[in-house]
Amino acid sequence: MSFTGNIGPLLKRLAPAVLLLSVLLLCGMGAFAQTEESSQKEEEDDVVTASQSKDTDIEADQVPQEVSAEGAEIPQTEEIIAQGKQLFTGNCTVCHALNEVVVGPALAGIHERRPLPWIKAFIVNSQRVIQSGDAYAVNLFNTYNKTVMPSFNFSDEELTAIIAYLKYETENAAQGANEPAESVAGNQGEGAGQAGNEASAFLTTIVVALVVVLVLVLVVLILVSSVLLKYLSQRTDLDEEDKEIVNRQFSFGKLVKSRSFLGVLIFIFVAVAIKTGIDGLYSIGIQQGYQPEQPIAFSHKLHAGQYQINCNYCHTGVYKAKSANIPSVNICMNCHNTIKKDSPEIQKLYAAVETNTPIEWVRVHNLPDLAYFNHAQHVNVGGIECQTCHGPVQEMEVVYQHAELTMGWCINCHRETAVKTEDNDYYDKLVKLHNANTDEPMTVEDIGGLECAKCHY
Amino acid sequence: MRYTSNLKSLALGVMAMAGLSACGAEGNDPGLEFAPQMYHSVPYDPLSQITNESAGEWLSTRKDERGEFYNSNPYNPHNMNMRVPPENTVVRNGTGMLPYRYPKDSAGSTYYLDLAAANVKNPLPETEEITEQGRILYNNFCAPCHGGSGAGDGPVGEVYKGIPNFAGGRYAEMTEGHIYHVITHGQGRMWPYASQVAPIDRWKIVRYVQTLQKQ
Repeated sequence: MSFTGNIGPLLKRLAPAVLLLSVLLLCGMGAFAQTEESSQKEEEDDVVTASQSKDTDIEADQVPQEVSAEGAEIPQTEEIIAQGKQLFTGNCTVCHALNEVVVGPALAGIHERRPLPWIKAFIVNSQRVIQSGDAYAVNLFNTYNKTVMPSFNFSDEELTAIIAYLKYETENAAQGANEPAESVAGNQGEGAGQAGNEASAFLTTIVVALVVVLVLVLVVLILVSSVLLKYLSQRTDLDEEDKEIVNRQFSFGKLVKSRSFLGVLIFIFVAVAIKTGIDGLYSIGIQQGYQPEQPIAFSHKLHAGQYQINCNYCHTGVYKAKSANIPSVNICMNCHNTIKKDSPEIQKLYAAVETNTPIEWVRVHNLPDLAYFNHAQHVNVGGIECQTCHGPVQEMEVVYQHAELTMGWCINCHRETAVKTEDNDYYDKLVKLHNANTDEPMTVEDIGGLECAKCHY
Repeated sequence: MRYTSNLKSLALGVMAMAGLSACGAEGNDPGLEFAPQMYHSVPYDPLSQITNESAGEWLSTRKDERGEFYNSNPYNPHNMNMRVPPENTVVRNGTGMLPYRYPKDSAGSTYYLDLAAANVKNPLPETEEITEQGRILYNNFCAPCHGGSGAGDGPVGEVYKGIPNFAGGRYAEMTEGHIYHVITHGQGRMWPYASQVAPIDRWKIVRYVQTLQKQ
């Protein structure tokens, strides 16, 4: 091809296209820069609100104490209230809360319900007040299942402090002093969620912007090439070879029928078929992803995640025995004698207790009987985290099998894992022998972790 | 003719692929087993009990005409493979701990609790090692309610309510016997932990709780 001498008009015709392309690119970059800027701004806004909420927190803590006329007998100085709070949380919170019945009655507003000397006498020796025949005390005793409130040997000052604290809390609760704290906490949680959303939204914007720019570039290039072809086809001074290229026509039907196309198609199909077949064969006997429905909709995400109950709390065998154990109902009842009593799922627990029938949990991790595995050896001696094999259980609503639990999977770990030998005399001589030959850390493999009879017998 | 046979083998291949891809586990389906007769336990397996008598009938070689996978003990209550230890038996596990004699108080009484508080002593020495072991056990079994520092501020405790502060008031003066008795039999809102925590581990926890009391 020879463009010489005619490059001027060509450039002239191409100029608008090039201009368009550069404008588009600039626009794309601009959009990119803008999104970045705005997100930065939002982050700054977040910081500002966070520091503001901190300020309000501090203010809420330092609400000035009012000494009202009617509270003359119950002092409301900060010092006494602090003392009362300490005494109350140290001694009373086991059975009493301010606004709800725990073991004993809710104590908000107690200073209005009962006279001060009566409260003091009841705290010091509740049984004496009840036995004296005081109607209110007897009624109280009977209402709360005749639970005896133990005697507290407080001085008069300490008693006053406790009541002062109760009065302070009651009045503050009435004013809704607790609400801001809660809403701030809620806002912070939402803020974190929003930040995450913003980050992902930002990424999406970038990706969309890039795709748009690339598509525009493609369109422009096609335009350019078609313009060029049109221009060249009008020319008459082209030789045969160039003409062929310019006038080449694309035929879809021919392509589909061509041998090479069919060959490629068949090759792809066979390759996919073989791959699927082999994958399918390998999945035989592997229960990875098994997620059976359990008789009770127990959520590990809630218990182990949100409430941070250690695995060992329920799976009591994990440090001591071959099996980690499935908890018996009495372990559930440690908390659910009180918590969420009315939930239909918890009612299933009560039914199991009342009829003394076992709950038939479905076993998720079914190691074949031909392989031996011991939890205590791995967790207690080896110090392996539960999540290493069981995956992020604390995030699982319904538990599934995370790992393959195949022999290759076991062996791989035995090859790679260094034995935890510190503070364990058992390994001392083994480590000495091992270190005499090599500088590598002693793996499970080195101490016979790949022997067949370790797991198969 | 040749074309159709090609098509047939193609369809067969696709079906085989679909069949194989269904071998994996998903949801309630544990997937296809490779050697089921070697997978399922012949002896009673306490944690993978199968009560369905016809499970695995198709490859059964059992003489009692039950399915190959059936795994239940017909002589136990509910055909369970597990049994609770017989009453009044003592665990012999090398720790040398004798059974705890004080029974649970009847509701409202603190008779045995007071006796235990006055008389029961920790058989374990007061060493840092034991306190450290106690700390781990405390964090596993107690911290959900009692909180890491013993202030009664654990995440579960906030919902359960009524958790004392070990360092506050009368709780700072609980004796070791008192703490041990409460772990064993429960007290107030707390339920007994005797089934979850072994006696020797309870004494380790007692050692650690005593350090929390002094905070």
